[in-house]
Amino acid sequence: MNGFAGGDLAGTIATWVAALVTIGVWSYLVGLRRPFVLLQYLLAGLATGYLALLAVSDVLIPRLITPLVTSPRDHLLLFVALALAALLVAASWLPRRVTSPATGILVAGIAAFAIGGAVVGTILPQVGSALPAASVGASDVPGVLLSLGITILVLIGFLHGAPRAALTASAASIGRWLLLGGIGAWLGFLVVSRLALLVDRIGFLLGDWLTVLR
Amino acid sequence: MASSPAPEPGAGALVARLRRAAPALVVLLILGAASFAPANGETDLRLAGPDRSHVDAMRSAIADLPGGALVLVGLDADFGTYPEIRATVRAALSDLLAHGAQLGFVSFTPEGRAIAAAELDRLAREAGISAGAAPADLGFVAGSEAGLVRGVESIVPAGATGPIPDAIRTGGGGIGAFSLVLIVSGSDLSARSWVEQVRPRVPDLPMVAIAPSFLDPELEPYLRSGQLTALLSTLREGAAYVQVVGAGTTPSGAPPRPLPILLGMLIALGVIAEAAFRQLAGRSGGRGFQRTSP
Repeated sequence: MNGFAGGDLAGTIATWVAALVTIGVWSYLVGLRRPFVLLQYLLAGLATGYLALLAVSDVLIPRLITPLVTSPRDHLLLFVALALAALLVAASWLPRRVTSPATGILVAGIAAFAIGGAVVGTILPQVGSALPAASVGASDVPGVLLSLGITILVLIGFLHGAPRAALTASAASIGRWLLLGGIGAWLGFLVVSRLALLVDRIGFLLGDWLTVLR
Repeated sequence: MASSPAPEPGAGALVARLRRAAPALVVLLILGAASFAPANGETDLRLAGPDRSHVDAMRSAIADLPGGALVLVGLDADFGTYPEIRATVRAALSDLLAHGAQLGFVSFTPEGRAIAAAELDRLAREAGISAGAAPADLGFVAGSEAGLVRGVESIVPAGATGPIPDAIRTGGGGIGAFSLVLIVSGSDLSARSWVEQVRPRVPDLPMVAIAPSFLDPELEPYLRSGQLTALLSTLREGAAYVQVVGAGTTPSGAPPRPLPILLGMLIALGVIAEAAFRQLAGRSGGRGFQRTSP
């Protein structure tokens, strides 16, 4: 039981709607495309509507409109933000050179946060953590060497287009197989996650909806 | 002249359609039937993993909290994977509330916000928390990673009132005001984003994470490097944690039943093996991995 719907009328209606929609999606299994496509549209529409509602109620009104209306002098930067947002909204009708600063700031900001965070938060600490410490025990040495070997082989596997000797080509081939093995293992994890979803949906139909499962 | 109905092709098409659908329907029936098997604790088939190191790390991170500690729940799960970690998340929330933690919920993705709102509703309905101890809803913060960085300075919405928002404001108003962050991952903005964006700015803040299995390879290195204090990222760890906390006694807090999961895995393995054998059989004189690069 997922516990999201209460025992009142609204909860009962929500459970019925969720159950019927689940069955509607599963009808694709017996080749009924139309209900499946309709429900896909419904999901896309609901998600878009929810996003718009969230943007208006949680972002635009409390973080832009309200500060600008109540104390505009304290939030001068918000006028710049408003102008950039207006440029993006009107991008379809304005010349490219007018809208490109807003787009550039947006893309550069996203890239700066992503790259800066990856370097400071992941690459440097992970490299530091992966380096074998002086205190590494003898039992850890094979693991460290194995990790190092796999990393080198996979990196060699990415040597595209460079002239390669037979030994390097073999190493690259092994590296690609190791990479495939890693992707396969990740796919296995993904299957577990999706399987839990399927089992949960079956449990929802039998437990929450039909109440035959306790 | 009116044309007579042609039942033969229609019936044939229906039979062909059912024949195509039969494997999937049989799988659904098997999983449905397996759902009636006894749940955890009533059978020898257990979902909980025997290795309790991750569970112990999570428990001690929560047990070490001072009384009335502020804990931020960054809920950015994904609809498609939340069922896997739902019981674990609920057990962690019960554990935190049992230790007297004051919770604040925030989301940086729309999906996470929808799930957070539903969980807050459930807590209000099921947990029987008094109004004063009710978790604070810090809402949705736009901007993805930029929003996370902004949250370091200010995480409380302007209009938020109550003891928890006031306590956060007293502590500086940002993420640094909290004693612990519980990151519920699943979407694009996972615990990795928290480690990359928040940890360098608030290095002393302990972070624990709950994530679906597919994020385990991505997040495990952060646990080993100490950037995450605790991580529960597989179904077995989650089930073990639920068992230890004792939160799986209510139907809504129980982890998935083990038998359908086991049968589903066996079926998935069978499908993969069948596809692999078919591929191998169709390939004469196996030539190994085909290089696609020039």
